[in-house]
Amino acid sequence: MLEMQGVTAGYDGVPVLRDVSVNVARGELVGLLGANNAGKSTLINVVSGTVPIMSGRLMFEGEDISKTSAQDRVELGLVQVPEGRLVFPQMSVRENLLLGGYNRKARPARAGNMDHVISLFPRLGERLGQLAGTLSGGEQQMVAIGRGMMAGARVLMLDEPSLGLSPLFVQFIFEIIDKLHAEGMTILLVEQNLSLTVRHADRCYVLERGVVAVEGASAAVAEDPRTRAAYLGM
Amino acid sequence: MDELLQALVQGFFVGSAYGLLALGMGLVYGVSGIVNFAHGDFVSLGMYLCFAFFTAFALDPYVSVVFTVPIMIALGALVYRFLIKPIAGRQLLMVIQLTLGVALLIQNGLMMVFGGQPTRAPSMIESKLFLVGDVVIRGAHLVACVVSFALAILLYVMLQSTDTGRAIRAVQQEPRAAALMGVDVGRVQVMTFAIGVGVLAIAAALLLPGLPIQPTQGLRFTVITLLVFVLGGMTNFVAIMLGGIVIGVAEAIGTIYMTHTLGQLLPYLIFVAIMLFRPQGLVWRS
Ligand SMILES: Nc1ncnc2c1ncn2[C@@H]1O[C@H](COP(=O)(O)OP(=O)(O)OP(=O)(O)O)[C@@H](O)[C@H]1O
Ligand SMILES: [Mg+2]
Repeated sequence: MLEMQGVTAGYDGVPVLRDVSVNVARGELVGLLGANNAGKSTLINVVSGTVPIMSGRLMFEGEDISKTSAQDRVELGLVQVPEGRLVFPQMSVRENLLLGGYNRKARPARAGNMDHVISLFPRLGERLGQLAGTLSGGEQQMVAIGRGMMAGARVLMLDEPSLGLSPLFVQFIFEIIDKLHAEGMTILLVEQNLSLTVRHADRCYVLERGVVAVEGASAAVAEDPRTRAAYLGM
Repeated sequence: MDELLQALVQGFFVGSAYGLLALGMGLVYGVSGIVNFAHGDFVSLGMYLCFAFFTAFALDPYVSVVFTVPIMIALGALVYRFLIKPIAGRQLLMVIQLTLGVALLIQNGLMMVFGGQPTRAPSMIESKLFLVGDVVIRGAHLVACVVSFALAILLYVMLQSTDTGRAIRAVQQEPRAAALMGVDVGRVQVMTFAIGVGVLAIAAALLLPGLPIQPTQGLRFTVITLLVFVLGGMTNFVAIMLGGIVIGVAEAIGTIYMTHTLGQLLPYLIFVAIMLFRPQGLVWRS
């Protein structure tokens, strides 16, 4: 469904990702692992179109979208839930969700998507009027995921959704990810938490300093000694 | 006592138009982080456009806004797109210099086209006066007040409950996330700048009746706007309108009760006094 082919990309002409190939099939839950600064966020920003590609191609459902604008990619259903959540702090939960459904394709489906989000996160349903900036970190993560769902995501890219959350919330977020996966959502999950990710993902990639060091079925990746090496930066 | 009441009423009416000026500035600041020092010169330009429509077609300023608003919106979009955007996000000083440059450009342009002599663009309701008790209300002031509040409310409702308004606020609060949700941040910035300038075209027509205009007057409006804008805590709508009224009343009281120069200083003195005690502006949260 989503295919990154030999992509080199970075900032101000300096490559961060080098010749990276990653693919995600429809309905798959793919984990993207790696230590700090490995280039995980850069990779999903390349998919979102906020970091330009220097060489290589990005394919979505058989079409080359390397040159497609970031807005158009959202309309296609490539939706990112960014690292650090980035909720709109002075807007209510409801408004955050509505803004998630801002793109033209998602607008007509807002009411239905909103019901879906609230069924997954009843807690948000109770707090629709609360300013997002006053929510706890875990609740903000729910808003961020809900906002991404409202955008009509067909591939949901989650950037470290468990970052900074208490173990109970981490547990909950992973349950939600499983649920979305079971509903058929295609998910690219960026994580540093190796053991948790391999338990939930179908397949994993391990990035090490901008290149794919290991890839394969989750269990195999977990066993692979190169995975540990990549994490330790050896 | 009557004089005081007179000053309060007049200050309130004119001040609401000052509030409108500052709302335009607040909108642009919130979205692009730009303080536009050519703000008052756009007001000036709006007034001269009214003047031009009056001399060419004998149109009343209240009528010619139908043309000046779209002209100014288009101009605002062009100025943002081709002058401000290329350097937005760079050093603050550069942006300030640029908007000051735009101010001088407008001033000199007006000087070249219309000459340096003060002129006026008369309006049909300029001489209309109402007597409420002992207070004289000028028709133009009443119109300015009603339209300013109506526009402020309209802008507020637009920001609060339309998709465009939400997108504008999203860009204010978290531009990166807004972009990831499919908001074209660049377009929102151009649009808000254009709206901000378009609002000035209306404010220009509201302030025009009875006022002699000259090409260098823009700075005065910029300064008044800055006072109100800072007093209002920069992005809070209600506080900005309130700030406009405070400055308007201070100006009116100063003009009535004090010698000319001291009277003109009063708004600034009050501004300094308020900022000393409430550096965050008139309202707590912005
Ligand atoms: N906006 C940017 N401009 C310049 N360099 C950047 C930018 N964002 C990231 N980088 C650099 O790119 C490299 C990879 O960063 P990236 O954020 O993709 O890593 P990451 O794997 O997501 O790390 P983390 O786990 O800490 O989030 C780092 O060296 C970083 O300094
Ligand atoms: Mg990251």
